[in-house]
Amino acid sequence: MKLNNKFTLWYLAVMLLVLLIGGAIVYYEIQWKIDRVEVVRHQGLNDLIADQIRQGGDYANHPTRKRATITLLAPDSIPASLESFYTHGPGWNPEFQRREYKLIVTSFYKIGGHIYRISSYSFIPSFYQLLPGVVDSFKWILLLLLIMVAISARLISKYILAPFKRTLKVIQSFDLKKRQPLRLPQTQTDEFRELSGFLQKMTDKALEDYQLLKEFTENAAHELQTPTAILRGKLELLMESDIRDEQAILIAEMQNSLEKLSRINSSLILLARLENQEYVAGQPIDFSEFLRETLAFFEELIQMKSLTLRTHIAEHVLLPINRSLADLLLTNLLSNAIRHNTLHGNIEVILSRSGLVISNTGNPPGGPTAELFQRFKKGNQSADSVGIGLAIVKQICDLHNFNIQYKYVYNQHILEILFQPEAHASKLLQNVDRTLHPEPLK
Amino acid sequence: MKVLIIEDHQELARNIHDFLASEGYICELCDTFDAAREKLELFSYDCILLDISLPDGNGLNLLNLIRTEHPQSNVLIISARNALDDKVAGLENGADDYLTKPFHLAELHARIRAIYRRKNLEGANIVQFNEISLNTDTLEARVGDKLLDTTRKEFDLLLYFLVNKNRVLSRQSIAAHLWGDYTDNLANFDFVYQHVKNLRRKISGAGGNDYIGTVYGLGYKFIAANREA
Repeated sequence: MKLNNKFTLWYLAVMLLVLLIGGAIVYYEIQWKIDRVEVVRHQGLNDLIADQIRQGGDYANHPTRKRATITLLAPDSIPASLESFYTHGPGWNPEFQRREYKLIVTSFYKIGGHIYRISSYSFIPSFYQLLPGVVDSFKWILLLLLIMVAISARLISKYILAPFKRTLKVIQSFDLKKRQPLRLPQTQTDEFRELSGFLQKMTDKALEDYQLLKEFTENAAHELQTPTAILRGKLELLMESDIRDEQAILIAEMQNSLEKLSRINSSLILLARLENQEYVAGQPIDFSEFLRETLAFFEELIQMKSLTLRTHIAEHVLLPINRSLADLLLTNLLSNAIRHNTLHGNIEVILSRSGLVISNTGNPPGGPTAELFQRFKKGNQSADSVGIGLAIVKQICDLHNFNIQYKYVYNQHILEILFQPEAHASKLLQNVDRTLHPEPLK
Repeated sequence: MKVLIIEDHQELARNIHDFLASEGYICELCDTFDAAREKLELFSYDCILLDISLPDGNGLNLLNLIRTEHPQSNVLIISARNALDDKVAGLENGADDYLTKPFHLAELHARIRAIYRRKNLEGANIVQFNEISLNTDTLEARVGDKLLDTTRKEFDLLLYFLVNKNRVLSRQSIAAHLWGDYTDNLANFDFVYQHVKNLRRKISGAGGNDYIGTVYGLGYKFIAANREA
């Protein structure tokens, strides 16, 4: 539920409560006020009648006596307090022939040594007569409030939440890898300012950590190069010496591990460098030509494994990609296609303006294919690879906004690269399904 | 051939020194920028191995000095930094080749020979050993007068063997030499085996001696001693 609607609902609940209490207050206030006014009026009438008695004369049928009773109190029945008082409650109205709400005001006067009690009464609107009016008016007020709150909540929240929405948009487009600090819009609202401050701090920290991590990987990889070179050299010198067969096997095993180490190392450096965007694409290169050259490079390997190569290469496909990266991309893809192939299998390479498809026969992948593009994930855990080739390919594709997909259908490994994925632009605009750490392809 | 090794890692420098010394090169070592500059001002060398990252300066700055003082020297940059711009800068400033650590010593040797051939034996780019001769310009391999039908890779392999005669060449080293170290694929050992097999077959087929021997567990060796066989 939207924040806006939540607020509106709560406000409505509160309003309903307030209106109920308010209605009660208004009703009692009116009732009391009417009583007061009537009491004052009848007090005046009583005073008037008392004056008339003082002056003497015949007022028996005077209009003032119509709803008044005058009693001359006997000395023994004089009450202790001579204060005026009033009573009210239901009473019979003979004029209307029905029971109505009756108010009686009684006053005492001392006239010529006698105590007179004068009571006057009248019928005033009762609880049940007033209630519908009060309820009615509150109904209208409630309706009006409802409409006003509903409308204003939308308009005002749009205005108040604008900075929040802007912040949300900025966060969504935040990407650690772009290494651009978060720039949040200024706002006058304290809470949003606090949020912005927090986000700013958090992302700055994340950027810093990311940078440190990357530097660490890079430095570690760099620093490992020289010791690896030394080890390799020593082993090569050792090979030249007079050694026994068992020793030779040991050396060979060491060399294998060293080789692996050095490949992991150089791949990590390469990945770091790709992330740093150190490879700038110059002029668009003729990818078709490039592909042919790379295929020629692998020709012998393909023959050795008795593979059948089918190519369909469109002429002059120009791509804005760095030559070294194009080389890396194709070398990795093709060597994969050769290595994970079966004897007498086939490889098919199709290049068109929209994309490149490389498919080859091979055994089904051993693990989940979604993880294939992650570092150190291998389709089958064969020892002769370090599982970083496809991670490099993916990184290169990401860098150029190519879309790469892997499928295994009918005993064929199919890798498809789309040079201009259609979904790309809209995805960036929405930015919904992008996370801080881009996931591998689904 | 006189070689100056400018490398701040003692152990690595010693490796290179030992390897090249056993090939009959005269090697000198220096491990700082200043020491290197001093040596370069006093002596001249046929080949200079230059590490870019020195403790007291960038090796690239030595290149200018080398270019003006010793234009005839060959310069091979060895660096832990595989950065492309370093490579480009190095080559543009007059280095002849660029090798990234960690490298195989045999590969280093092959590169030094290649530069040497390119620069010092103008035109006569023939590598000869007994009946085998390789023309590095036309990429033609001959046994006696017979032209061998070698592929590019086989030619490279034979040249690698000839440059590193009597040395054990590991399969890793051969694979790296033939296919570079771009790919994730660890040494294509099967392919190395195939290449060597084909090469031996072709040489024998042309009536040449079989110089290439298998070294148990390790790799191959081009044995130059058994010419009387």
